[in-house]
Amino acid sequence: MLIGIDIGGTSTDGVLLQEGKILSSAKCLTDETDLQRSIFTIIDELTQGVEKSNITRVALSTTLVTNILATGKGDKTALVLIPGPGLNLKNMQLFPHTFIIDGASDFRGRIIEPLNEEQVKKAGKLISDAGITKAAVVGKFSPRNSEHERRAKEILLKEYPKLEITVGFEISGQLNFLRRMATAYYTAMTQEKWAKFAVSIEKALRDRGINSPVSILKADGGTMPLSISLEHPCETVFSGPAASVMGAFALTMDEETSVVVDIGGTTTDLALILQGKPLYASKGAIIEGHYTSIRSFNMLSIALGGDSAVRLAGAQVTIGPDRVGLAACFGGPIATPTDAINFLEDGELGELHLSQEALEKIAAPLGISVKELAELIVNQFVDSVEENIKKMFKAWEEEPAYKVYEVVNKRSVQLDKVVGIGGAAKAFVPLISKRLGCRSLVHSYAQVANALGAAVARPTLSLILHADTQEKYYNLNFGGISGKIPSNFNLDSAKEMAKKHLEEIMAKRGLVQFANQSEFFLEEQFNTISGYSTTGKLFDIGIQIAPGVINEFREVRS
Amino acid sequence: MKKRLCKERTGLVFFPAFDWAISPTHPEREERLLYTRDQLFEEGIMDLPQILQLEPRLAEIKDIARVHFCVPDIEFQATKAHLIAAGSAIAIADSLMKGEIKNGFALVRPPGHHAMRVVHGNRGFCNINNEAVMVEHLRKVYGIKRLAIIDTDVHHGDGTQDIYWHDPDVLFISFHQDGRTLFPGSGFMDELGGPLAFGTTLNIPLPPGTTDEGILFVLDKLVLPVLDIFQPELVINSAGQDNHYKDPLANMNFSTQGYATLNKKLAPDIAVLEGGYSIETALPYINMGIIMAMAGIDYSNLYEPDYYKYSFKEDSKRLKILETMVEQLFEVFNKREVIQANNREKAGAFYERQRHIFYDTDGINEKQLETVKVCPSCPGYITIDSQASHGRSKNSKIYCIVIPIQACSDCQEKAREKYEKKLMDNSGDFQYIYLQDRVADNYRQYDCRKQKEIVL
Repeated sequence: MLIGIDIGGTSTDGVLLQEGKILSSAKCLTDETDLQRSIFTIIDELTQGVEKSNITRVALSTTLVTNILATGKGDKTALVLIPGPGLNLKNMQLFPHTFIIDGASDFRGRIIEPLNEEQVKKAGKLISDAGITKAAVVGKFSPRNSEHERRAKEILLKEYPKLEITVGFEISGQLNFLRRMATAYYTAMTQEKWAKFAVSIEKALRDRGINSPVSILKADGGTMPLSISLEHPCETVFSGPAASVMGAFALTMDEETSVVVDIGGTTTDLALILQGKPLYASKGAIIEGHYTSIRSFNMLSIALGGDSAVRLAGAQVTIGPDRVGLAACFGGPIATPTDAINFLEDGELGELHLSQEALEKIAAPLGISVKELAELIVNQFVDSVEENIKKMFKAWEEEPAYKVYEVVNKRSVQLDKVVGIGGAAKAFVPLISKRLGCRSLVHSYAQVANALGAAVARPTLSLILHADTQEKYYNLNFGGISGKIPSNFNLDSAKEMAKKHLEEIMAKRGLVQFANQSEFFLEEQFNTISGYSTTGKLFDIGIQIAPGVINEFREVRS
Repeated sequence: MKKRLCKERTGLVFFPAFDWAISPTHPEREERLLYTRDQLFEEGIMDLPQILQLEPRLAEIKDIARVHFCVPDIEFQATKAHLIAAGSAIAIADSLMKGEIKNGFALVRPPGHHAMRVVHGNRGFCNINNEAVMVEHLRKVYGIKRLAIIDTDVHHGDGTQDIYWHDPDVLFISFHQDGRTLFPGSGFMDELGGPLAFGTTLNIPLPPGTTDEGILFVLDKLVLPVLDIFQPELVINSAGQDNHYKDPLANMNFSTQGYATLNKKLAPDIAVLEGGYSIETALPYINMGIIMAMAGIDYSNLYEPDYYKYSFKEDSKRLKILETMVEQLFEVFNKREVIQANNREKAGAFYERQRHIFYDTDGINEKQLETVKVCPSCPGYITIDSQASHGRSKNSKIYCIVIPIQACSDCQEKAREKYEKKLMDNSGDFQYIYLQDRVADNYRQYDCRKQKEIVL
């Protein structure tokens, strides 16, 4: 049996799943001040009368880290940067307690300026004097050479052994100093609070006799073991929307191109599944206005939901962007799209007369019938979703390309279907798909798709191996792994090495059963040339376990 | 200069063409912008709100036909990579004209400034002139009338010069290493444009070793004042990066700081990458510098790893040479309208010039006879009789007619008649006959053997 729990901003959902069938589901309001209580309210409800030893996996998606950062409750953190030449960070608005240290390496991993150790010591003193106990050390090109970062950490720890230090090269090997900086900073800021949460969750589960592995959903739609999350708390941001996408993925499991439309109370979230593969955001997740190196799904959130307030502005009917309360049919104060649907479909929800009265207040001054108004609201809603779906496809088609092949074979896809998720999906999604000229799917599990997504998502891992046969080294964009290579190193050896590392990491995480599900997604080789002769080769090999579902899960059965 | 109201972003098309090379160890190869990519990505410059990254796209065949006579045809000379480089420059131009960006940089390859009007093959690593294709697009689609192209590549921009030699509305200024010491061996002070466009081509042959100070002197004392007088609607930087002190193919002493300052002062509306082959030690820094300068980002912390080992002050002897050149050229430029009027009066019905053009990359020798109709009311239509020998066996001979975009109705008519007449004659002298009618935006190529016409 699998348990999946999605702790959302408003509510917490959970499902208990066995052989593709949802045995039970539970829902409660999320208590932001005590997430653990929300989680266990759900777990206790789900596992009532269930033999605990039958539970083979518990997977959670949570907004904890997002909340810590959004509410400024993270730990006070210092940022020690080794940027070298380039952007003048001294004049940029970065983070408080930032220290800039001289020293640099270049794109080939060559040290071009020594580290100014005196400056590091001075920074350490100021950090310590300010009573700051967390620091992130980030150097430009540290994925290509981490020497300066390592040395700076060593110096800081020697003088101030209590300082907890996050280093950039272990956080991200992607070439993007600004994103690595933000990610390392937020990691240092949230690590301790996340660890407390993780430990208490694990303990509470064990106390209840649930001894299965515990996984946490990441923004990229994959899971990681709870123990690994201690090093990468920021990977959990936006795991809620990721859970919905994985839920849609689990409900479809095909090679088609789908747009996932998750209609909530206040917002509608859109995501794309292209030929069976969820699409990632090209620039990584944005946290507090900063791009990060965290892979996340390409999502578009529109301020439009089932409970959005419908108002009259002059002769215009507006929907949202805010939500005042429940839909009128459930006793809410104002007409909503849910009321419009309710009226048109003869009141399956709450009190039909309440919907009708709320709508009448808007229809009367416009001099139209309630039916006409209801149709207008639904149309406007569908218009907006349709427009945003098109915008998303266009943005995807306009992604930059760096090769002739990519431009000539410009991607363009045909949308196969709209997958609806969330409360109001059943009413709206068929209308949206009709507009777009494709099919729609609103599964009977659509309302708990987020928890379902968490329950069945498999672990993901993405590695890029960079090898330079002239400088005779390789490194991984992961965990700061690097090493030497022989001069006869070639494309096949690079691929083999990338695969080997992936298998080792998966084994270390206790996830060896997924290691054979990897695929190469990047193969690049360049000659390095001096004068007119080839002096070496550069390889970039990408290998990943893409988002998918765990082996036990084949398809949903309802 | 006319300033448009627009958003405060700098557009960037980054198209490194990682799957295109002239040959595996040629300087114009796959790896050329690899370290530039690493530097731009690591800096995270595309994440900054000042930058809008635009997607590369293919130019259309007709965009190429607006500028070039390709032998045997456009598809043969313009590979997909060339179409993308030119198309990316157009993408920047479109975005600028739509007001999405305040300026833009087409950081693309392959380069183009050695490609002339007639294209028999590759010259100086170029087949298609990206700037000219973009300029003709700007004129045709947006009705831009006056433009300036400032060629800052270390090599003389002889292709662009050729295309705008007779065009009084496109100011072409090239500063480059003295042609006596570097390919293509042209770009001397006496190359000042055709008789009716005299003074709208300016060449500053720089002595080898010229530094930041020297180049910025030329910019301050000649280029900027000339631009101020000419008043173009748009300024384009044909942005080669081989003046750099590390470039393996040239001998100048220009630094990243110099490049950035040049672009800050010149403030081009559009920059298009040209040459530059110090792919590790210069390009990553210069490209950053150009982007930063155009986007108004502080570039004071941007320098090469060995920058502080060198001096970029000019020596007094070279500075004297530069002063003399700048003075003389400025004088010629100021007298250009008088000289043009004189030329018009003195010339007969047609002006003629004979030329010999060498294609270094492809080893082709071309002989041209060019004629320009001397017209009292427009720059006149142009004909080109071109003969190319590709070594022992292969020869081609073509005849081209250009109707410039400013052509008067009389010249348009005469030129079109001439084309029809050439087709009727079909004397057997030529393999192809071309008509480039920029006014009607109509481009014709007649295959004399097959007696078949292609119309674009």
